[in-house]
Amino acid sequence: MNPVIDYHALAPEIVLSVTIILCLLVDLFIPDRPRLVPQLASLGVLAAIIPVLTLAVSGTDVSMFGGAFVVDNYALAFDGLFLVVAYITLLVSFDEIADGDYYGGEYYVLLLTSVLGMVMMASSRDLVSIFIALETISIPTFVLAGWRKHDTKSNEAAIKYFLIGVLSSAVMLYGMSLIFGFANGTKLSVISEYSAGSPPALFAVAIFLTIVGFAFKVSAVPFHFWAPDTYEGAPLPVTAFLSVASKAAGFVALLTIIRFGFFNSSDSWQPLIWVLAAASMTFGNLAALRQTNIVRMLAYSSIAQGGFILVPLAVAGDVSGPSAWEAVLVYLMIYAAMNLGAFAVVMAVSRRTHSTEISSFAGLGRVDSVNAVMLSLFMFSLAGIPPLAGWFAKFVIFRAVFDAGTTAAVVLGVIAALNAVVAFFYYSNVVRRMWFDEAPEVVSSPRPASVALTLAIGITVVVVVVVGVYPEVFARLGQLAFASG
Amino acid sequence: MNAVIFFIFAASTLVGAGGVVLARNPVHSALFLVQTLLSVAVLFLLQDAELLAAVQVIVYAGAIVVLFLFVIMLIGVDRREALTETLRFQRPIAVALGAIVLAEIIFLTGHTWATGAATQSGVPITGSTSSGDLGNNIQRVARVLFTDFLWPFELTALLLVVAVVGSVVLARGSGDRSERSIEEPSSTADSESAS
Repeated sequence: MNPVIDYHALAPEIVLSVTIILCLLVDLFIPDRPRLVPQLASLGVLAAIIPVLTLAVSGTDVSMFGGAFVVDNYALAFDGLFLVVAYITLLVSFDEIADGDYYGGEYYVLLLTSVLGMVMMASSRDLVSIFIALETISIPTFVLAGWRKHDTKSNEAAIKYFLIGVLSSAVMLYGMSLIFGFANGTKLSVISEYSAGSPPALFAVAIFLTIVGFAFKVSAVPFHFWAPDTYEGAPLPVTAFLSVASKAAGFVALLTIIRFGFFNSSDSWQPLIWVLAAASMTFGNLAALRQTNIVRMLAYSSIAQGGFILVPLAVAGDVSGPSAWEAVLVYLMIYAAMNLGAFAVVMAVSRRTHSTEISSFAGLGRVDSVNAVMLSLFMFSLAGIPPLAGWFAKFVIFRAVFDAGTTAAVVLGVIAALNAVVAFFYYSNVVRRMWFDEAPEVVSSPRPASVALTLAIGITVVVVVVVGVYPEVFARLGQLAFASG
Repeated sequence: MNAVIFFIFAASTLVGAGGVVLARNPVHSALFLVQTLLSVAVLFLLQDAELLAAVQVIVYAGAIVVLFLFVIMLIGVDRREALTETLRFQRPIAVALGAIVLAEIIFLTGHTWATGAATQSGVPITGSTSSGDLGNNIQRVARVLFTDFLWPFELTALLLVVAVVGSVVLARGSGDRSERSIEEPSSTADSESAS
């Protein structure tokens, strides 16, 4: 009965935990060196990547705590994604937190704790672990969303996010408690065995409630209404973090719970995810068309992108191979790079213009051609234009749809294709404004982008271009992650 | 003997309950509530409900009342509290008490970690499930908590720390650099904003 602890397998989590405690102590006892905490935080994240790599090289799957915590290729792939996203989020945070007139030490503690929850989420195979990981992800982000305390929009963002987050947790817990009652266990393997039998109709209600809870977290329509206000009100680095890392973690939870737990009762979850996917894509894109603020536009666009990520999940029960799971992973990796990049450029530009209205991007091509080129690349990638990475993300999704081949899958594929066309309009609108419109009057007091912000833009643009031209990189990662399972 | 203990703690429960209503200072009210809840926990113990008693202490006296105190301290700051510590020796005593608790835990586990292979004293973790003797409620819950659910349990500790950090960050009078630099007139904040 003694739990066997493999410290190598736990190393990413342990490194992050130690970094969090160190940041807290350093911030408390060495207050006159404000650069120290961010440096420590980014070092910690980089250090946590090392054990992920060594574990991937060693290649042996580790299962601990009675199978509740598993370190395999699947978990490591998402660990790597979360840690890289965390590092880029840290890079884009430095300026904003240092200049923002708001004290920043705790910012990094909260951000890293959220990342710790994500890293744990990837390895969790048990309802209790998944729930605790999800709360560890969410609770720090409630505070981060309200970081600008004297800005009523930021307050609104935090309150809305908090209330919706708590509500969704309650709904999800209710579903989980029903599942526990039916399956007589919280481990996903136990639930999987149970659902392979003939569960009663109420089990479908339990699955419904659990998935609705996750739908709030990934802001799928119709559970999305908090997202635009929260994204607009929160500080920009936090918005980038919420729309990429936090959302990806929600998808990982959904993927894990469906793949290892509910898979056998695909009658219960497939129609639900189908509706969520179709509604998210359609509503997200139509709403994004009408936005005049680029952050709100990216918020609705991320709802629509979330709908695209749900597409392979909605057909996963009918796909024999792992191509649906692979599609989710590959899409999340590409989405992370292009969305973080887009936010980084918006941050760099808004340091000069002090505005996130799309009109303030007019004529950027003449004023600041480097950032204009970068933003054009990210916008075209989000729209899915080859040879940028976005096309491959769309490609893997359509491949999963064709692998499924059912009528429902094909209809969903058609909806996705139509939405890709709609999305092109608002993404290209930003590009058109940047290159063809006259620049407005230049606002005074430009603040130049720092090295860190430039580095973040650089990393993401390299990913977007390289993966677009040579998609084998991510495709191979996807295959490796799902090779054994 | 049981009757004596019952009457003592029943009285204590009532006194605490009265104190909650009658106290002028909300902090005192909350502390009286702790007294009531702890006394009820003892009443549970008298009924051989060990787990219920432990949960009463941990959840009510520990979590909920601490939450009350937090809300009172963070929100009810209309009048300026004296920031000097009136109890002069509270810091050393706090450190000493912490050290004693740590020593106690180490002693009880028989100088091995909670996850270690051999637990010489205290309750053995090792396989009594097959032999049929599962121990009482507390031992069974503890065994599950420190084996199968050890990892989420440990993470919850960090989660609680972060929840405290987050609530302090949000509720602190102001996060402004400018006001901070008034509080601590060091030149760092000014040189930062100037550069």
